[in-house]
Amino acid sequence: MAALMNEEGGVASRLQAAAATEDLWCLALGLFQVWMFVVVFLIMLPAMFGLSLGVTGVYIQVLVRVLEWATLRIQRGRREQPSVPVPLPNGIIERVGGSMEEEVGQLRRSQSLAGGKFALSDAFYFYKKGLESIVDDQVTQRFSSEELASWNLLTRTNHNFRYISLRLTIIWGLGVFVRYCVLFPLRITLAIIGLSWLVIGTVLVGFLPESSVKSWLSELVHLTCYRICARGLSATVHYHNRENKPQKGGICVANHTTPIDVVILANDGCYAMVGQVHGGLMGVIQRSMVRACPHVWFERSEMKDRHAVTSRLRAHVAAKTKLPILIFPEGTCINNTSVMMFKKGSFEIGGTIYPVTIKYDPRFGDAFWNSAKHNMVSYLLRMMTSWAIVVNVWYLPPMTIQDDEDAAQFANRVKSAIAHQGGLLDLAWDGGLKREKVKDSYKEEQQKMYSSIIAGQNAASSPKPTEEQ
Amino acid sequence: MGASQTRSGKYQDLADKTGFSLEQIQNLYKRFQQLSGNEETISKENLDSIPALANNPIRKQIVDAFFDKRNQHQGEVGSFEEIGFEQFLMVMSHFRPPTLKTTEEEKEALRKEKLRFLFNMHDTDNDGTITLEEYRKVVEELLSKSGAIGQEAAKAIADAAMLEVASTNVPHMAPDDFYEGITFEHFEQILKGLEMESRMNIRFLDVDTTTMRCGKTTS
Repeated sequence: MAALMNEEGGVASRLQAAAATEDLWCLALGLFQVWMFVVVFLIMLPAMFGLSLGVTGVYIQVLVRVLEWATLRIQRGRREQPSVPVPLPNGIIERVGGSMEEEVGQLRRSQSLAGGKFALSDAFYFYKKGLESIVDDQVTQRFSSEELASWNLLTRTNHNFRYISLRLTIIWGLGVFVRYCVLFPLRITLAIIGLSWLVIGTVLVGFLPESSVKSWLSELVHLTCYRICARGLSATVHYHNRENKPQKGGICVANHTTPIDVVILANDGCYAMVGQVHGGLMGVIQRSMVRACPHVWFERSEMKDRHAVTSRLRAHVAAKTKLPILIFPEGTCINNTSVMMFKKGSFEIGGTIYPVTIKYDPRFGDAFWNSAKHNMVSYLLRMMTSWAIVVNVWYLPPMTIQDDEDAAQFANRVKSAIAHQGGLLDLAWDGGLKREKVKDSYKEEQQKMYSSIIAGQNAASSPKPTEEQ
Repeated sequence: MGASQTRSGKYQDLADKTGFSLEQIQNLYKRFQQLSGNEETISKENLDSIPALANNPIRKQIVDAFFDKRNQHQGEVGSFEEIGFEQFLMVMSHFRPPTLKTTEEEKEALRKEKLRFLFNMHDTDNDGTITLEEYRKVVEELLSKSGAIGQEAAKAIADAAMLEVASTNVPHMAPDDFYEGITFEHFEQILKGLEMESRMNIRFLDVDTTTMRCGKTTS
């Protein structure tokens, strides 16, 4: 009798344990279902149709209020503890302008030299310029992230902001929790869904024969996936001047800050991408994309041959029915405070150029990809744990090459237009300086300028010998 | 956040030695990090890779001046392979402008320091004089190798200038006398009228001279 009761008791407890684990499973399943419901119906489906529930808008507004409050607290904290340092936005030294001629002339005048041919003091102009360049130059700072005037409650931008108050630290802690535990899993889910849908969808569309239905479907698939990916980054994009959107058979050029630029632009229209063939996951995505609509992927060997590249792009543009090509002429990622030299190769293809300016708001997250510091995966993780990505995209009116300019001048014209629209600094330096050195021909330019000053003086001060005789 | 506390003690020493404010030292330290790629020392290659410096015809002399032991005011000669932040600051301190509190003697001393720095830049073999060879080198570097002035003409210009210096400083030179070179005293004499206070200064900014803004920076 006791043995039976024991057995019953054992069975009962086992049943209880089984029931408990089943409960746990049910709970987990239930949570998962709620999660997927939220993701699919509240985020994915609206994204597919280009609608928005407005949640992100509210989130951004709340965030702006919080950051403004944080800024005021930090400023108050600075006034109370004056040893807290301030980042200087315009460089750390004061620069006096003036061309080479003016400055050299001033140096000589202060010595009251009577038009000497060469004076030791001339060298001083170059010493001073050289020292100024060592202390502060325009190019080296473009390859690292922009420094903010006030902290935006992300540890990664905390260069010299110290402990100010308890409330600020609590808000910061709350921010960490929200970003890592709530937003991050959501974003990862969306990103995975978006990318797999891209691969599957384009492969499916690729089975159809060439027809207008196929292009319409491939556009739909591409747009949907990019919209889901954009939600996966909490990206809010404001498009301006949409009447200037790139048309078929044109070339779209934009300034380059991060690989995410592609997602941002492709949210609003379909483009034919240009790039190198990669291996791995990127390669899979590239191969499936090209089944649905013609992108231009180059083998590594082909990239070295400029003519092959140009002729392939030309053929693409000449077929007026193909999607506009998307090119980033800077060739490398710059930190979104300036626009560097545009390589003229893209401007030799012909066709209409549609310039686009992309400006990221640095308060919500640092979008710049410093490829020396982070690889692609850690960069994407950083993006997914920022507050949000807020972008302004301006479509500029189309431009074509004029008769009296060559490709390099045309490139500069387009670059100035893009820089002007976005409020970015227009630099003539080459972005390739991130990895290489400057050519010696630049030094010779300055030498020529100086020698013409001296030669000019020589001609003026020394009489011609033949006249004397 | 704690590391910066110990650094400020070290910065106070540097501030006393070089005359920069704490804030300026912090800004310069960030620049040092940028140039060195977050290492402890800078080599000549790091300075050579600054694009704006590549423009400068006498960049070699300027870069060498940073590695010159004479500019460290410790009585040594020769040159370093690499420099640390303290040496970087010492070289920079030659270009500090005088403040309102500097007395006349201090201004004189500052001026002499600047002249000494520039003299060292020319006097590469450290024999105390700038010889004709050394002078010629500077002129050649400044003028174009292929441009309005050829090499022979550049040489002639250097010779003429040197002759002028000689005649100013040693007015009663006999025809057989050989002018050794410009000594430091002669150098000072030549540049007596040169207004150094505004020409050879670099005004380092700090918070008193800029206005604080909230929001993002504009460049």
